Amino acid sequence: MSTPLDKKIVEYLTEDARMSFRKIAKITEKSTDTIINHYNRLIESGDIRGSTVVVDIEKIGYQGIAAFEIDITSSDDITSDHIMETLIKMPNIIVATKTVGEHDILLLAVIHNLEHYQIISEEIGQIQGIKNISSDIWSGNKKILPKYFII
Amino acid sequence: MEMARQKIDKIDITILRNLQRDARTKYSDIAKQSQVSVDTIIKRYRRLQKRGIITKTTLLLDPRRFGDEVIANFNIDVEPQSVTEVITFLEKQPNVKFSTHAMGEDDIFTIATARNMNEMNNLKEKIQSHNMVREVKTSIWVDQFLLCPQNFELEPLMEKKR
Repeated sequence: MSTPLDKKIVEYLTEDARMSFRKIAKITEKSTDTIINHYNRLIESGDIRGSTVVVDIEKIGYQGIAAFEIDITSSDDITSDHIMETLIKMPNIIVATKTVGEHDILLLAVIHNLEHYQIISEEIGQIQGIKNISSDIWSGNKKILPKYFII
Repeated sequence: MEMARQKIDKIDITILRNLQRDARTKYSDIAKQSQVSVDTIIKRYRRLQKRGIITKTTLLLDPRRFGDEVIANFNIDVEPQSVTEVITFLEKQPNVKFSTHAMGEDDIFTIATARNMNEMNNLKEKIQSHNMVREVKTSIWVDQFLLCPQNFELEPLMEKKR
């Protein structure tokens, strides 16, 4: 992110991703076209990965979040990329990252209840290449940094 | 917990699904998909906000692009009865972005960002030296991490009519 204007655009849209470019142009005393150009550049450069709506997970029927830390056995056929692709397509898994350290992959999933948590664990365990899963449940409605991690 | 579950209908789901993928989706595009008027979509969107289902719309940013090159999570084991004390300590560290009491393998789960590996290591050592902390396991996030807001299940909310 290079210019002070970029910073401003990111700041406003982080608070309200639906704010109109015209409004941002007015506040920053630039033209709407300038704002649109800067915004497009921020998207192209990958500084902005996208935008989303933040929902209250309890209001849509979730009781909490579970963190799954996974060890894998990758081979020529099944790489960690394959495993990641499979995992992130599973319902309720909202964050997935490869890690270096104790485990190979970290997943964050939203869970309805303990039974649901067990079902997700079993589904993950059935994926080829997964050797071991250890997990933690976080109780309550935890807010992680929405601008980085959705929740 | 079932009490908190709120009923939403097909139009609400179409709004949420569109905004999960792109919070800047035009009301008129959502209206077209739902075959209702733009006014209806705007009204519904405001109602979802009012009911607290939508808390905000935001950008998804890559922390690495904003000066924090390293992201890590720590799984922390602490002495009995000291979880709250350690979480309070963690929340005071500027690098710590999130901390929670966990049930399972570890006592506390924390996510932190740092400008570089050195800074992250300093944080780890600081946590380790806390007298109530027994063990800190670190995982450094590598590669682009994946986010999938569309993976929230919304459809079950619709089925439960009574």
